Amino acid sequence: MARSTTHTHEPRYDVLWPLSRKAVKRTAAAPRIPDLNGKTICELWDVIFRGEIIYPLVREYIKARFPGVKFVGYAEFGNFHGAREHQVTATIPDKLRAHKADAAIVGIGA
Amino acid sequence: MVERLGIPTASIIGSGFLKQAEVIIKGLGVPLAMGVYPGTPMVDSEAELKRKVEEVLAPGLLRGLTGEAPSDDETTAEPQPGEIILRGTFDDVQEHFYRQLWTDGLPIVPPTRERVDAFLEFTDRQPDDVLRILPQEGREASVLSIAVNGVMAGCRPEYMPVLIAIIEAMCDPVYRVEDSGSTPGWEPLVIVSGPIIKELDLNSGQGMMRVGRQANTSIGRFVRMYLRNICGFRIPPGAGDKGSIGQSFLVAMAEDEDSAREIGWPTYAQDRGFAAGENVVTVRSVVSITSPMYSSGDRAVEHVQQWTDLIGGSFTYWAHTGFKTGLWSPLIVAGPSIAGVIAKEWTKDQVRQYLYEHIKVTAERATHHAHMTSTPTFSFENLVKDGILPPEYAASKDPQRLVNVIIKPEMVEILVAGDPGRNQSRAYMSNHVQGPPTSRRVVLPRKWKQLLARDK
Repeated sequence: MARSTTHTHEPRYDVLWPLSRKAVKRTAAAPRIPDLNGKTICELWDVIFRGEIIYPLVREYIKARFPGVKFVGYAEFGNFHGAREHQVTATIPDKLRAHKADAAIVGIGA
Repeated sequence: MVERLGIPTASIIGSGFLKQAEVIIKGLGVPLAMGVYPGTPMVDSEAELKRKVEEVLAPGLLRGLTGEAPSDDETTAEPQPGEIILRGTFDDVQEHFYRQLWTDGLPIVPPTRERVDAFLEFTDRQPDDVLRILPQEGREASVLSIAVNGVMAGCRPEYMPVLIAIIEAMCDPVYRVEDSGSTPGWEPLVIVSGPIIKELDLNSGQGMMRVGRQANTSIGRFVRMYLRNICGFRIPPGAGDKGSIGQSFLVAMAEDEDSAREIGWPTYAQDRGFAAGENVVTVRSVVSITSPMYSSGDRAVEHVQQWTDLIGGSFTYWAHTGFKTGLWSPLIVAGPSIAGVIAKEWTKDQVRQYLYEHIKVTAERATHHAHMTSTPTFSFENLVKDGILPPEYAASKDPQRLVNVIIKPEMVEILVAGDPGRNQSRAYMSNHVQGPPTSRRVVLPRKWKQLLARDK
């Protein structure tokens, strides 16, 4: 790109900001759960990037530290990315409530 | 979304996607706890994957659920829309905009108040009208923002009604503008239809997809500029656009409607459900383009058979993404001389049917391609069971059975354009459900004719 010049006869331009207003409603994170024993973790998966191997490993890792934790597998929620993304996403809040979700793991962005 | 329900959530993110995640977090306004997978899961051995999950990813997820709640420290104050943010020479403007990541690397036209107002004259809408809050930065798609970026991209003021229609189409949730930065690096393609093609001097003939004609070029550039500045899709040193290799912006396409009418085929816009003579804009994704498709002969089948070979050869690999989602769409730009030969014998629907019936792939090959890309669990049987694909895709368990690459004949789009003096066509592939063809009428201002006459 060009470097700034200082030719005195060059015109000056008053230029407008090229972006637009952000309209983001901020939400604070939900309180965390130090002890997962007796709690339910729901899994949401977009059915890509080897989640069929990753999720069971994660499950095993957390269960080893919190044996009383319960998992609701990703198959209960459907693929939230792809053919029926909007429809599936719309059903997730009710399903989370039905399963009495205390926490969730969502993936995979890779 | 889940965090908004008051449920603590931890997300699995690949290390190469952390910058992308930051952009999305700011746009959603929700802090995100993350477990990070180092590197690329698709190329790690099973042992390596297990090690990374146990040593890095799973501990991160656990911290995300049990540790301190994530916080969002976004506090940067921004200027107001329409605010003058710099006074400087041409070079000062270029340098400042480039450093702020507000340009595509080429010089922009300085968006002065006077230039922006000239664009706003070409719409009856108010500058602060908001079409939608756009992902992924959560910014307003305002009429003013369209004008400012139109100026910067080198458009003329009279393109403004087309620019608004483009953004209206991209605001349709079906279009999924939020997926514009996905790794395949697809690019939006604008197709302009109707009398406005000639009024704006769009090229629909020889060299139609080259830069060089102001309307085609600057409208195409505008789309990429808008995705960058309002949606926040930027390549490094910015973030948000994860196109792994990507492609350059596509100049706007226009149909040679005179030729289409002459051979007796409906125009592209009529195929899209609009009346003849309506000004229409369609935006669709392009993830892949065929080689030039030369064909010869005076019979329809000779040309369509050649298209079958070449479209099949180019698009069969990526069709697995369409199988996963139940949708993908080839757009054929038929050279006028070729379209003329075909139209003597076949309707567009007959062409669609032929392509549908003759482009095939073995189930084994398509499954292999899906495994290679991202989906080791791909299965035609499951896709049929879920109602995403028609039953014939699971009609047998033979991995060598042939399945249709094109899911439904009506997904094939055909448009007449290009060099009338040569026997060449070309086809453009959409990226499954990301950026499906989405159309909007172009709404002209009440004083369109007067304004156009004045500015010519």
